[in-house]
Amino acid sequence: MSGQFASERWINFFTSYGNEMLQAFLRTLSISIIALVLALVLSIVFGVMSMSKNGLARAISRVYVEFFQNMPLLILVFVCYNLFPLINITLEPFAIGCIIIGLYHGAYIAEVVRSGIMSINKGQFEAAYSQGFTYLETMRYIILPQMLTIVLPPTAVQAANLVKNTSVLAMIAGHEIMYAANSYGYSTLNYGPPLVTAGILYFIICFPISTWAKKLERKRDIALEGRGGER
Amino acid sequence: MSMIKTENIHKYFGENHVLNGVDLEIAKSEVVCVVGPSGSGKSTLLRCLNRLERITSGKIYIEGKLIEHRESDKNILKIDPKEVAKMCSELGMVFQRFNLFPHKTALENVTIAQETVKKTSKEIAEKIGLDLLEKVGMAEKANEYPSRLSGGQQQRVAIARALAMEPKIMLFDEPTSALDPELVGGVLEIMKQLALDGMTMMVVTHEMGFAREVGSRLIFMDEGAIIEEGTPDEVFMNPKNDRTRDFFKSIL
Ligand SMILES: Nc1ncnc2c1ncn2[C@@H]1O[C@H](COP(=O)(O)OP(=O)(O)O)[C@@H](O)[C@H]1O
Ligand SMILES: [Mg+2]
Repeated sequence: MSGQFASERWINFFTSYGNEMLQAFLRTLSISIIALVLALVLSIVFGVMSMSKNGLARAISRVYVEFFQNMPLLILVFVCYNLFPLINITLEPFAIGCIIIGLYHGAYIAEVVRSGIMSINKGQFEAAYSQGFTYLETMRYIILPQMLTIVLPPTAVQAANLVKNTSVLAMIAGHEIMYAANSYGYSTLNYGPPLVTAGILYFIICFPISTWAKKLERKRDIALEGRGGER
Repeated sequence: MSMIKTENIHKYFGENHVLNGVDLEIAKSEVVCVVGPSGSGKSTLLRCLNRLERITSGKIYIEGKLIEHRESDKNILKIDPKEVAKMCSELGMVFQRFNLFPHKTALENVTIAQETVKKTSKEIAEKIGLDLLEKVGMAEKANEYPSRLSGGQQQRVAIARALAMEPKIMLFDEPTSALDPELVGGVLEIMKQLALDGMTMMVVTHEMGFAREVGSRLIFMDEGAIIEEGTPDEVFMNPKNDRTRDFFKSIL
């Protein structure tokens, strides 16, 4: 092999930068996990609010979802990094990553939660109540398990997207995979190995999540097949 | 002693006066069929009996015991919620659209309330469940999910599910009107068997054949009130009220 992918380039990269890549990989993982937890919490809050009887709650949820679904993630990250310090709010790139990416994907998952709630037929509550279930028993044994099967596959897809989107933090020195790969390439003009490695690392995280999502989806579709008669 | 008795029950949905002074009494082992135009309040009446809806005013007795007494949407009777739950579990309900739990197999549909509400052990619940599925001719499909069953099969499982709580009264809300015509007979046959076993039943249905063969009484409802009642043959062959007569003309 020669050029960008010559074998000594790989050897140089792994020997001088392997440890940094590993650190960056772990940092991407931790940003992803924190952002995902934040996104899940926000999505449940705003998803439930979007189905509320209270008009104000519905409006707030709508504004949140529309704002984040229609704004590029990169702009949000830049604004936090470059403009917030001007009004004396200084956040670490790590914190910006967790918060902004959490908010951003929270908006998408909130829509998933909303559709999950909408998809449960009122008759399910009635069938449970008429058998003597309490509200909590109904939620626990009847409603939530059905909601989870519906909501989990698209949520897993969002989780994989979230991991990939942490790469925008490279633009604000986030010290995650993309940033590390890019800085090595920039300083050594050896771009091939770090970028390929970065791609592989993202793939290693995302592929199992997507595969799991597809499996869940297949299971769900089998479970829901022919439920039309019941709605 | 009557199994169900209502006194002057009224139900409003907002301005909509849906039940307008219903007095009803059902004796043990009676099979009362209810007919009437769409929107006349038949479903609401059933749903008020087992508290899926709360009445605006009136009284409801189950097995002679007052369990609901309200005026202007306020409780007059204060009653322990546990007592209410127990009374309501004496009423089994079968819905027009089955409402089986789609994430549970046929057998699990029949066992889950036993295990959750009655705290029956899994083993016993399954034994009871299989017996009931056998009774409705669904034992072979015990491990199938509802999505794999026809409408008629789903409704039979739903009947077994309701029976699992050992109700003393069964309420049926148009149990066959969501079914393809060829599947109606099987479900009606099971209901007939239940009636022969002595179950007290209240059945909203437009299956006049069933009402005349199995019903001990036929009630005609219109605009939230009982307009006419009597033996099925009497009401069907010889309706006294013009609205009843028009209704039967319209469904034949
Ligand atoms: N949950 C509800 N909220 C508001 N109106 C309702 C509700 N359920 C039933 N109604 C109204 O009550 C009336 C009687 O309905 P229903 O009891 O379902 O009639 P039936 O079963 O005889 O067709 C109808 O006008 C219907 O629109
Ligand atoms: Mg109805």
